[in-house]
Amino acid sequence: MNGHTQSDLTVVRWQRGVPVFGVPVVTKNFIFLAAVALTGFVFVIYRQVFGLGAASGLSDGFPWGIWKTFNVMTLTALGSGSFPIGIAAWIFRKRKLHAVMRVTLLISFLVYFTGLLAIAVDVSRPWNVYNLLSVYRWNTISPMWEVLWCMPLYCLFPLFLENTPPILEQWYYFFPPGRGLVVWLVPIIRKTYPYIVALAYTLPILHQSALGALMLLTGNQVFPLWQTPLLPLLYVWAAAFIGVATTIASVLLCCLTWKRAIDQSIMDELVSLLNWLIFPWIAVRLLDIVVRGRFTMMFTSGLLSLLFWTEMLFIFVPAFYLRKAKYRDNAYTLFRNCFFIVVGGMAYRFDPTTLAYRPWRLGIIAYYTPSVIEIAISLSFICTCICLFLIAVKRLPILPAPLQQWYDSESYYRNFYPYIQMSGYGNADQHRPSYAD
Amino acid sequence: MSLTRRDLLKMGTMAGAAAAVGDAVVGTAQEPVPTPPRDAVGMLYDSTKCIGCKSCVVACADANGLQPDTRVDSLHQAPNDLNSFTKNIIKLYKPKYGEGGTFAFVKRQCMHCVDPFCVAACPFHALEKNRVTGVVSWSADKCIGCRYCQLACPYQIPKFDWDAFNAKIVKCEFCKERLAAGKEPACTYVCPPKAVIFGRRDVLLREAHRRINEHPGKYFEDRVYGEKEAGGTQVLYLAAVNFDLLGLPHLSPTEHPSNWLRWQERVMKYFLLPISIYGVMVAFLKQNFREHEAEIDEEHKKTGLIPQL
Repeated sequence: MNGHTQSDLTVVRWQRGVPVFGVPVVTKNFIFLAAVALTGFVFVIYRQVFGLGAASGLSDGFPWGIWKTFNVMTLTALGSGSFPIGIAAWIFRKRKLHAVMRVTLLISFLVYFTGLLAIAVDVSRPWNVYNLLSVYRWNTISPMWEVLWCMPLYCLFPLFLENTPPILEQWYYFFPPGRGLVVWLVPIIRKTYPYIVALAYTLPILHQSALGALMLLTGNQVFPLWQTPLLPLLYVWAAAFIGVATTIASVLLCCLTWKRAIDQSIMDELVSLLNWLIFPWIAVRLLDIVVRGRFTMMFTSGLLSLLFWTEMLFIFVPAFYLRKAKYRDNAYTLFRNCFFIVVGGMAYRFDPTTLAYRPWRLGIIAYYTPSVIEIAISLSFICTCICLFLIAVKRLPILPAPLQQWYDSESYYRNFYPYIQMSGYGNADQHRPSYAD
Repeated sequence: MSLTRRDLLKMGTMAGAAAAVGDAVVGTAQEPVPTPPRDAVGMLYDSTKCIGCKSCVVACADANGLQPDTRVDSLHQAPNDLNSFTKNIIKLYKPKYGEGGTFAFVKRQCMHCVDPFCVAACPFHALEKNRVTGVVSWSADKCIGCRYCQLACPYQIPKFDWDAFNAKIVKCEFCKERLAAGKEPACTYVCPPKAVIFGRRDVLLREAHRRINEHPGKYFEDRVYGEKEAGGTQVLYLAAVNFDLLGLPHLSPTEHPSNWLRWQERVMKYFLLPISIYGVMVAFLKQNFREHEAEIDEEHKKTGLIPQL
């Protein structure tokens, strides 16, 4: 600990997920976000009625737009924090990281859920999706098949189940008639948990790499600085560190917004995970470019070179700074650096699909500008995600906090629900701390 | 030492994992070489013979029941490019004024690759390569409209019906109904100067080389486009000008999908690798989960609060 400024403060330890209490869910910002979200859903109806051509800027030369390339291929990386953090916590036994698991699982679920919505809007013959169940029609070498199977399966099965404990917990407190069900469900969840969790780490590794493999098939239509046989590996790896950085940034943002205490030791652990992921990734990427003989392209390809270096520096420089305790201990610099890493990582995931993707048509490169409707729908899904996140953290024990905050929240809720007893599973009365009464 | 069923299962998983990893590493060392079906049909288009009459464009629309694309002037069937109304088109390459060189027509339609990108891309075999004739065709009941075939095709062939509710992928299907009825495709049937001819791919390839040998230097690089490009195509081209100028991209023989996706293929083979990763993770998790559970239960006893997983 770099305790020179904090010697007079008590060291904060995150021990439990605690809802953000005493803050209304419906605020001005929330209404604004919800309005944007709803507008998008109106446009979805427009797109379904009038077709993809009318609603989007897509053409035969450029068939994939931001719904796929941004909402799915880029944003799901932000929701991939749960698998690197989970693997570190459960398999490499970094026990501290369990504190942030609930947040990162929630982010994962929401991002994947809105990503699935984006696919559903983008796909033009959705009534044929039943083919997922007809085994003899599977083309298992198609990365698209892997994405179409893995992503919904991941989101709706392991991720969903991993997100149920906070809901059940809250149900137990605030809905006494449902307690029997919760008490019945909890042992079942515990028994199956390792199997579900292992699935939750296998599936994202598969489909995040498949997202990279999607661009593999476009061959030399993607600029050689991005196109490489290692694209699947680099994609899943990038997803891992973008996910970790997103988790750090969003937890910090929540803590700063709602003035909650920050556990520095957990932040340090997360940052060290982040650094372990980022530096080898950069090395592998550069090495790959050199081995493929594209070294000079890093400097001679004009705007694309600029793009390449923007990505690399946005990822490298913040990670380099974060090695120093000075930048980690300050919540603001930590947030800023993680934010830059997320931006750089997103650029890396987005570029090969759109900016560095140059479909070859008789010497003319097809280009694409997203239409207003496309942007509105894309934004709407992002806002949906944020709205659901806000509701969840204000109603469910998700954000990590010290134990004391739990008792504070209990006495707060007592004002409105006098019968409430926020301790658990039957035998808790004898353990109740005296000062909470 | 007795062997329990659990041990046996564990050993099986380990062996499976080892086999999958070994297969992935060793198998990918050899590059796959695509071969056309034995009775692969084909077309040979000789740009130097084409007179640009566009009979084939009209015949194609007629034979395939396509609406004539008169969107340019509401009068003539004059599509700008391949599109959802047009499976076949004649284009003209004209050198810029003052530059040397000769003009050339080019007929564009699906190349019916030996190792098609669209077929590798399609998640549900909506685009399929016929095992006998090698014709790549589309079926409506499997396509989900993801347009990955469009993204993957290096020749930009599959076209999408952007304005329709029941959107379709439109591409040349080698007049498969006519083939089944024992006829040749409409475009080769009508071509007045026989610039495009129909036949078996191997026969056409020999014919193309015969023409090159007969007129050395007449054809660009004395080369048949489609013999080796991206593993070969069943539609072959001869031209006097650079194929690049005709919109036929430069593709190396190894740039075919089964080469690009050979890792994907190995990794997903019998799902061995994912299953072994899963197995290993479960093994680690079960042990660590037990410890974690003990810890949170301890916490529960101390504080009385519901244990949080």
